[in-house]
Amino acid sequence: MLDTMDLSWKVAMRNWAIYRKFLFSNIIPTLADPAFFILSFGIGLGGFVSQIDGMSYTQFMGPGLATSTALMTAFFSTSYNFYVRLFYEGITHAMLTTPVGPREIIFGEFIWVGLKSAGMSMGVVLVLLCFGLVDYHYLWAVPFVSLFVGLACGGMGLISTAMVESINQFQTVYAVVISPIFFFSGVFFPINQFPVVLQWLAHLSPLYHGVVINQQLLWGKPNLFLILTHSLELLVLSMILCFIAYKLIYPKMER
Amino acid sequence: MNLVESHMLVKKFGDFTAVNEVNLQIPDGMCFGLLGPNGAGKSTFISMIYGVCKRTSGHIRVFGKDPNTYGREIRQQLGIVTQDNYLDKEMNVYENMVLYAKLMGVPKDEVAKRIDELLDFMSLTHKKKAPIMALSGGMQRRLVFVRALLGNPRMVILDEPTTGLDPAVRHLLWEKVNELKRRGVTVLITTHYMDEAQNLCDDIVVMDEGKVREQGSPKSLINKHCPGYMAFVSDSEENLQKFSRRQDSSTALEIIREQNVLALRSNDMANLQIHLKNADVDPILIRPTNLEDVFLKITGRELSQNA
Repeated sequence: MLDTMDLSWKVAMRNWAIYRKFLFSNIIPTLADPAFFILSFGIGLGGFVSQIDGMSYTQFMGPGLATSTALMTAFFSTSYNFYVRLFYEGITHAMLTTPVGPREIIFGEFIWVGLKSAGMSMGVVLVLLCFGLVDYHYLWAVPFVSLFVGLACGGMGLISTAMVESINQFQTVYAVVISPIFFFSGVFFPINQFPVVLQWLAHLSPLYHGVVINQQLLWGKPNLFLILTHSLELLVLSMILCFIAYKLIYPKMER
Repeated sequence: MNLVESHMLVKKFGDFTAVNEVNLQIPDGMCFGLLGPNGAGKSTFISMIYGVCKRTSGHIRVFGKDPNTYGREIRQQLGIVTQDNYLDKEMNVYENMVLYAKLMGVPKDEVAKRIDELLDFMSLTHKKKAPIMALSGGMQRRLVFVRALLGNPRMVILDEPTTGLDPAVRHLLWEKVNELKRRGVTVLITTHYMDEAQNLCDDIVVMDEGKVREQGSPKSLINKHCPGYMAFVSDSEENLQKFSRRQDSSTALEIIREQNVLALRSNDMANLQIHLKNADVDPILIRPTNLEDVFLKITGRELSQNA
C-alpha cells in the first residue's frame, strides 16, 4: 500500500530531480551570497572591527551566514517556486489526480525544503571550513539545526503563498518579514546591542535560534545550556509555523 | 454495479452553489457523458468524484467508497485527463511519465514497459526523449492520456478531452476511447462538442446551473426533445410570417429563431418539405436533428450568468 510518507517522499524527489538538472547554476547563487558578504563585510568592514566576542569579524559572521542560507533557500522555494507550481503550472493539480492528496503535497514540500536548507547551509559551512573560519568538532550537527530553520522559514513561505493575492506581493513579504529576520537575528552583530524589546522580538525569529545554536557549534566552545534552550524554541517555532502553513495552504488545493 | 453514485450532492463556494442536489449513477462499463454550458458544475462534480473537492452536503460513493476518506484508494483506480494539460515542462516526455507511474504506484520493474506500451498506444514513441515544449498541442493532449492510463484505471475521467484540437487528433482520440470501452474501462466524459458526445456516449446527463436537467441515451434525448429533421431558412420578416401562419398543432412544425437564421423542425421529412414547397422557400440546409439541438433546447440559447 502506498502510504503517506512514501508518496510525500516521491513528491519531494520530483523537486530534487528538477533541481539536480541544473545543479551548478542552482547552487551558485546560494553560495555566492555568503561569499560576497564575507568579502565585503568581513574584509571591508572587518578592517574597522578589531575583535568581536574575542574573534575576527569574519569568524563571527561565518556560522550566522551559513544559517541564513537556510532562511533564503526555504523562503524562495516555498514562495515563488511553489506558487508557480500551484497556480501557474498546475503541477500540484496534476499530482492530485494520482493517489497523492493535498497532505502529501504539503509534506513533500516540507521534506524538500528541510533537506535543501540543510544541504545548502552545510555547503556554506564547508566553504568556510576551507578558509579556516569555523571549528570542525561539532560540524556534523549543523545540518540538523538548518533543517529546522528551513522548516520554520518554509512554513513562513507557504503561509505567504496562501495569503498573497498576486505573485508580486512576495516582494512585500520579503521586505517586511524576511529582510528584518535576516538583519536582526544576530548574524552580523551580537543581539545584545539592541534595545531589550527588540531582543525579545528576536525570539520569534527561527533564524535567531538557528544562528545562536550554529554559532555555539562552530565557534569551538559550545555552551550546552544555550544550545538546549534555543533548540527547544526553534523546535516549537517550526512546529507552529508548519502547522499554520498546513492549515492555510491545504484549502488552496481543493477545487 | 454502479461505479459512481451520488445522492442529493451539493457543493457551495460561499454563496454560489456550483453543484445543486445532484443524483447520478454511473454503471460499470458505460461511457457516460456529462454535458452542460460553462459554469454548469461539471468540473466541480468531477473533482468531488476523485476526492480533491469536498462536498458541502449529500452523499457520493465511488467504487462503493466515500472519496472524502478514501480519496487515495479511489484515485489509484482512476485515470484522469484534466481540462488543462498540467504537464511538467521542466522534464521531458519520458521523465514526466516515470514520475507519474511512480505516483500511481506502478511496480518498479513494470514502469518502463508500461510507459513504452502506452506511448505506442498513443503514437508518441518517437517523442519519448522530447522536451514537453517541443510537443504540439495534440501531442501534449495525447501524452496526458498516457499519463492518465499509467495506473491501468478501472474508470477514466475525460474533462473536455478534445477542446482546441484539430479534427485528425479528435478522431484519433475517439478511436482510443472506443478501444478503452472495448477493454471494459468505464468512461466519464465532459465535452462541449455534441458530435463527440453523440459518437461516444451510451448515456448522457445535461447539467445547467448546478442541476441535472435531463438524462438518457443520445437517441432517446433526441426523440424526446426534437425528433426528425431541421430545415434552415433565412430569417427575413416575410419568412417568419409565412411559417408562423402555418404553425399549429395539426401541421407538426416547430419554428425556432436562431441568430441570423430561422430553423424549422418537423418529425417527418416529407412534412417539412411540403411546408417549404407551399411557402415557396428554398432552405439553406436540411439535416437530421442532433444532440446539439437538444442541448440548446434544454439549456437555452442565451449565455447564463455563470458562463
